[in-house]
Parts: sequence; C-alpha cells; structure tokens
Amino acid sequence: MDNVFIEPLKRFIERIAAFLPNLLIGLILIIIGFLLAKLCKAIITRVSIFLKVDALSERIGILQALRKSGIHEPLSKMIGQAVYWIIFLSFIIIGLDALKMPAVENLMTEFLLYLPNIVLACIVIFIGYLLGNFLGRAALIASVNEGFAFSGLMGKFVKFTVFIMASTMALELLGIGEDTVLIAFAIVFGGVVLALAIACGLGGKDAAKEYIDKMLQEKKEDDDITHI
Amino acid sequence: MVRAVQAGFAKYFPDKKAILINSDGGSTDGTHEIVEKTVIDDFQPLLIDRRQSLLSKIVTPYHGIPGKGSAFRTIFQIAKELRVKACAVVDSDLRSITPEWIDLLIRPVLSRDFDFVTPYYLRHKYDGTITNSIIYPVTRSLYGKHIRQPIGGDFGFSGKLAEFYLTKDVWESDVARFGIDIWMTTTAVANDFKVCQSFLGAKIHAAKDPSADLSAMLTQVVSALFMLMEEYPDKWKEVRSTDPVPLFGFEFSVGLEPVHVNVDRMIGMFDLGIKELSALLTDILSMDSMKELIETSTSNPFTFTDELWARIIYDYAIACHKKVMSLEHILKTLTPLYLGKVASLVMDMAESNALEVENRLERLCTAFEKLKPYLIEHWE
Repeated sequence: MDNVFIEPLKRFIERIAAFLPNLLIGLILIIIGFLLAKLCKAIITRVSIFLKVDALSERIGILQALRKSGIHEPLSKMIGQAVYWIIFLSFIIIGLDALKMPAVENLMTEFLLYLPNIVLACIVIFIGYLLGNFLGRAALIASVNEGFAFSGLMGKFVKFTVFIMASTMALELLGIGEDTVLIAFAIVFGGVVLALAIACGLGGKDAAKEYIDKMLQEKKEDDDITHI
Repeated sequence: MVRAVQAGFAKYFPDKKAILINSDGGSTDGTHEIVEKTVIDDFQPLLIDRRQSLLSKIVTPYHGIPGKGSAFRTIFQIAKELRVKACAVVDSDLRSITPEWIDLLIRPVLSRDFDFVTPYYLRHKYDGTITNSIIYPVTRSLYGKHIRQPIGGDFGFSGKLAEFYLTKDVWESDVARFGIDIWMTTTAVANDFKVCQSFLGAKIHAAKDPSADLSAMLTQVVSALFMLMEEYPDKWKEVRSTDPVPLFGFEFSVGLEPVHVNVDRMIGMFDLGIKELSALLTDILSMDSMKELIETSTSNPFTFTDELWARIIYDYAIACHKKVMSLEHILKTLTPLYLGKVASLVMDMAESNALEVENRLERLCTAFEKLKPYLIEHWE
C-alpha cells in the first residue's frame, strides 16, 4: 500500500515542496520586473519629453509618418511603452527560467532563438507599411498631375504591391512557407499583370485606342503658357 | 545677349569700368567660347561715339551644388572682391534684351541709391501665371511691397546687397539649386534694403523646354516661397498694409504674341485632382476650403473665387509649416488646384486689355491681403 500510494504521494509533495520556492522566486521576479518596467517607462517617458523628442520627431517627419499610418501616440510615449515591454518580457523569461522545469526551459530556449526573427518580421512589416503608404501616395499624386484617369487605382496598386512584398519578406523571415509564399506571390503578381494585359489587349482595345488618341490630341492642344 | 550688355555699358556708362561675368555650370554647348569671342566691332550703327575701354569678361565655372543659385553666388563673390558699386544679372536665354535694360537695372542703384532693382515686364495676360496667381500676391501680402515680378530673374543690385547675400548661410540648401530669385527679392525686402522696379518692356525667352514639368516647377517655386516664410515670420506677421514700389523707365505697350490655352484640359485636371486627391487635400486644407473646393468643381460656369484661392494658398503654407506630410507630397497636390485657378482667371480675362488684367490681379492681391489675419492666426 505504501509503495503504491504513499511513496508517490510523498515524492509528489517533495517535488511540490522543491518547486514552490522556485515558483515563488519566479513570481517575485515577474512582479519585480513589472514594477521595474513601470518605473522605467515613467522615467524614460519623462526624459523623452524633457529632451523634446516629440518636437524632434515632428520636425524630422517621424510623427507624421506614424500619424499617416494610423498611430496617433506621441513618440515619447511609444519609447516608454517599448522600454516597459522589453524589461517586463525579460523578467518574465528570467522568472520562467527560475522554475527550472526542463520543458519550460526548452520552450524558452526555442522562443528566445525565434524572437529575433519575430522582431525583424515586425520591423519589415512596419517599414513596408510606411513605405507602401509613401510610395502609393507619390504614385497617386504623380499620376493625377500627368492627367492619368486611373490614378487612384495606380496609387493603390503601388501601395499594396509594396506591402505584399514586405509581408512576403516577413513570412520568409519567420520561416513560414518560405518558397511557397514566394512562388505564390510570383504567381499572383504575374497573374494580375497577365490579366491586365489580356484585358487591355482584348476587352479594352477600343478603350485603349480612344484613350491614347485623346492623350495625343491633348498633347497637340497643349498650352503655350509660360507659368513662371 | 553679350552684345546687348556690351552696347548697354558703352552707351549708358561710357565712363565706368564694367565687367561681364559668365558664371557657367560646366555647359558643353560652347557657351563660354561664344561669350569670350562675341564683341561689337562697330559702334557707329548704334550711334555710340564715346565708348568706354573694352568690356572685360570673366568666364568662370561656379562651384558647389549645380544650379542658378550657385552661379549667382560666384557673381556675388566676384562683386565683393572687386568692390563693385552696382551689379545686374540677366537670364542667358533672353531674346528681348536691349542695351536699355543695363541702364534700367543699374542706374537706380548708381544714381538713386536703391539697393535692389526688380524687373517690370510687359507680358501676355496668360503668361507668368505662377507669378500672377501665387508669388506676386503672396509676396505683396506678406512683406507689404508691390513688387510685380518677384521672380523675374533679371535684377540689379548694389555691391552692399551682394555682400549681404554672401553672409547668409543658404548655399548648401535649395536656394543654391533653385529659388534664388524669390530668395534675393525676399531677403532684400525683409532686411529693409531700398527696392524699386524698372520697366523693361517685353520679356521673350528662348522656346520653352517641352519636357519642363509644371508640377516640379510649381513645387520648387512655392517651396522656396514657403521656406522664406519660415525664415522671416516676425517680419511678415508685423506687416499690416502694402505700399507701391517706385517704378522707373518709360512705360510703353507692344504687341505680344498670342498664347494658346487649353482651358478644358485645365478644368479636367482640376476635376481629376479633386476626385482622386480628396483624402490628401482633407489633411492639407481647412474644412471650409475643402467644402468650397468641392462646390467649385461642380460650379457652372466654372468659377474659382479669389477668396477661396487665397485661403487655399495660406492653408498650404500652414500645412508645410506644420509638416502634415512630406513637403514634396503637399506641394505636388497643389498642381491640379493651380490649374483650376488659372483656368478660371483665363476665362475671366478672356476679353480684358492690359489695364483690366492688372485691375483683375489687383482684386486677387486684395483677397490675399484681407485673409492675412487667417494665416497669422493658424500659423502657430
């Protein structure tokens, strides 16, 4: 009876007793991390405000780029948030490591090795989003100034192409699909171009002719104005 | 050009020492050989008897960022080294320059103590539309001086002003590339130098470059104008009224070549801009301006009011000041709106003579002046 029930129960209690201090240390570390992260966030945010980081970001255009991307937080607050999460996540990892559980340790090791890829992928997506917006807008304005009737479409096409390319790169960094994603992108992109070519060549040849004739006619009727 | 300058000095300043400078950006079309070799052999047909010593020439490449501003900097430096009393700069592609231009650009400096002489041209009513619809009204409203051609390109100035220009740290900026004309005018006015105008007659350039991009041109000129607003905010905010500037020279009229304008195309571009750029324009313009702009696009007959145009230009200045997005993007969205305003002005002035055109532009300038408090209020 002892061998069947009592011994395993004793071992279980011993293990729990051995694990509890680790759990306590882990929890304390996470709580310390949380408090330290909060404190650092407050300090860093205040220092950023004191150093006029928001004004600087506005002057060099970072704030506008973020605002245009739907982010309305001031840069000082974002820096504070980033510091908070870096410190808090670090303490969570240290806290989990303090549990000294092989399974958790393996999981953490794998997660830590994968973390740089996640960060890089996020950065790539973020830059792709900003770049897509910027280039899409540039293409839209240039098309309008050239009198191109489908300017809106052109702007969106450029914007989404850049964003899709960035997403493809991000997925490749995460090791998801890798070649599959690249091939899928090439097929979709090639397909869109081919579809447009066929649509213009067959379905819209009259419209294309009319459009080109109109453009040529407008060139002939160009202004003689010297604007300056 | 070289002969006109030489004849001008020989006829009007025979007792003065003069130097002709070709500040060249490294052109390979033989400009410097032409400048070096071109001389007037016989002054008798020009009825010039008492001529000065031979006109000296300096043909030199300029250094720094390629552009008209860097070329002018070299001229200012030479003027400073030689301690010249007066200096004139003229565009090299002019076809209508006469020897009288030299007199009209230099004499106000030498004999009337003016520091800066701006040109006053006879131009076709549809020519110089950026000047007429933006640069002249804004400069006049901001700095309080009725300088009709602030970016004329042909100026006279004193040695003192040339030296002052050199003290400014702008030679690595866009001023060196473009915008030197508005910079020279604004710097002179904002720093209280004595400014006047000289009537030069018709201004005819070499045939315009068909590849010249209106949008790029407009962006360059307007960005220079707005950049100067950033430099002299205290100056332009305190100006409450505007005054005429002395005009020298005998005013005459000449027949000008007709200018063809495709108004329908301009209105089409305006409509396209409103339709496709409305999301961006909402970030740039005030709500009232945006609402009125949409009403304008549906107006029949097409009418773009002066008040709306003045408010739009001030909205653009404010948007650039507050950097609501990339400066180039802000300014490039102005092109379709500008074409709309030009189309409206062209239709307004279709039957107008020169005097009526000036009166029409006077009304436009008044609209800018009346709205100046709006600009000041929203600037900060």
